[in-house]
Amino acid sequence: MFRKTLVLTLLIALLAACAPAVQTTPVVDSASTEAPATEAPATEAAAEGLTFTDGLGREVTLAAPAQRIVSLAPSNTELLFAIGAGEQVVGRDELSDYPEEAKAVESIGSAFQNLNVEMIISLQPDLVLAAEINTPEQVKQLEDAGLTVYYLNNPTTLEGLYENLEIVAQLTGREAEAAELVESLKARVAAVDEKIAPLSSRISVFYQIDSTDPAKPYTAGKGTFINLLIERAGGYNIASELDGYPQLSVEEIVAADPAFIILGDSMWGMTPEQVAARPGWENLSAVKNGNVMPFDDNLVSRPGPRLVDGLEALAKLLRPELFK
Amino acid sequence: MRPYLSSFIFLLVALTLSLAIGAVFIPPAEILRALTGNPATDVIKTILWDIRLPRTVLVALTGMALGGSGAAYQGLFRNPLADPYLIGIASGAGLGAVTAMSIRWSYSFWGLMAVPLSAFAGALLTVILVYFLARVGQTTPVTNLILAGVAVSSFASALMSFLMLRSDGELRRAMSWLMGGAIQLGWMSVLAMLPYLILGLGTLIVYGHALNLMQFGDEQAQQLGLNVQRAKQIILIASSLTTAAAVAFTGIIGFIGLIVPHIMRLWFGGDYRRLIPLSILGGSTALLFSDVVARVVIAPQELPVGIVTALAGAPFFLWILRRSKTQGLW
Repeated sequence: MFRKTLVLTLLIALLAACAPAVQTTPVVDSASTEAPATEAPATEAAAEGLTFTDGLGREVTLAAPAQRIVSLAPSNTELLFAIGAGEQVVGRDELSDYPEEAKAVESIGSAFQNLNVEMIISLQPDLVLAAEINTPEQVKQLEDAGLTVYYLNNPTTLEGLYENLEIVAQLTGREAEAAELVESLKARVAAVDEKIAPLSSRISVFYQIDSTDPAKPYTAGKGTFINLLIERAGGYNIASELDGYPQLSVEEIVAADPAFIILGDSMWGMTPEQVAARPGWENLSAVKNGNVMPFDDNLVSRPGPRLVDGLEALAKLLRPELFK
Repeated sequence: MRPYLSSFIFLLVALTLSLAIGAVFIPPAEILRALTGNPATDVIKTILWDIRLPRTVLVALTGMALGGSGAAYQGLFRNPLADPYLIGIASGAGLGAVTAMSIRWSYSFWGLMAVPLSAFAGALLTVILVYFLARVGQTTPVTNLILAGVAVSSFASALMSFLMLRSDGELRRAMSWLMGGAIQLGWMSVLAMLPYLILGLGTLIVYGHALNLMQFGDEQAQQLGLNVQRAKQIILIASSLTTAAAVAFTGIIGFIGLIVPHIMRLWFGGDYRRLIPLSILGGSTALLFSDVVARVVIAPQELPVGIVTALAGAPFFLWILRRSKTQGLW
């Protein structure tokens, strides 16, 4: 019996050992700090076509700028429409709801469930634009079906966002519009920076992402765009010591006593009145001063050009006298 | 009705439906033409060969694995509630999968196989642990196996939930995996699963007679000439390998392993020499039908197959329960 078990265990160990050393990179969200952008994908315009290296390290080749694009993420849809490539989009994921014109494009199901690959194929795209909300298995599935897939990594800084806009521009032949857009985005960000720079203090903020459990609402910490934009807008995120999307207990919120409470879950029906009604919350300065503000979470959660809208909105919220 | 013939016919119908139905309906005549190398359009060829065929084969194989090992477990444990996940395979596989999902692997063959491999390893390690926990001297009483299975299962589940809570973005991916579905890695999954299935299911079919003997109880079976301990071990290993291989690629799909053997038993009797092969065929058919429903019911989106099998399986199971009380099935 012992020998049999030994053999069995060895067989299983052999199976496990069969996998050669796999490269592991820690999960991007929680580990990354506000370091300069992720690896800049290489681009060469070859004589026959365009070659790219996408976010997964795969080589992607296009004969010509893509004219029939299926977007698998709302952020990708926003990027495409923002650089004027909206007419080149033939399919979008269910959740892509901005801009308004995107809703008219055919939906191919939600990226959060099994993708409807057959529908994507029937649209005959020449490019499928994936994002980090899509899994490597989904990418492989589309690849196996003979489609060209480009996986766009989420940016971790605004520079990363500009780079993504440039990549998408090269994929769609809209370099001019994208360059213009990037210039205008940079100008708007610079305008905010200019007004924030001379200030000596920061306004403390609590950004509420989800408060289904009001005793422990979810907020955004280090490594998230929400945190980055709050800081850039001259605020101080009381959860900035924590990583990712932690839950903050109400006691910590009371102890930190933020000057502003921003309701990222207002699109799910959360109102300042509900917050004020929570036992214990009425003593917070933010509640007493009427500084509990609803906010469109999409402006700071989707890694697209609207992040700059989000930055401006936050800046205006925190210092209305500076930003008209 | 002749059992094998009718089972094969049902299976054929299920296979055809699975190949025909989807975003683009491909009529059976078209399917035949495309399979024999003469597709009407390129789109049909791509859809059929690159998407539907690997998916259908994967689902069919998984159904076979679940049906066969479900029947074997029910015979082994002499318990109508037994299913392939009884001694912790589901939680072990889940823990392995979720652990793998919290690491960002490279986009390569091994990177893509990381999750199925971890799920497989997790499942097997759990079974081994349960087996050794349940041992009493030289024997492993069935009750001990079940109890140890429940304990280890709970522990693994708790660990898995903790990991899921700690993860940032992979929660949705983990939930989707846990609800079951054909997580497509193309023909890679099929080829990876095949050796385990052939080995495992083949063994189970051969051990049909042993399972019959074991229905009389361990002691009786021993006296009838069966090496009960060894038979138990082999059946356990074979079913666990089969289930682990299936679960590694398609997540946790419940109820097939539980319901299908019961249906086959109702229709064709409890002789395990027949029940195992018929459950293999039946499991395949049932899962194929469920997969078609999962694709169709909220098109263009897809339901995870595990939800369909649970929704269909639970009422059916209750019905079986009622029948067994009145008819003394067990």
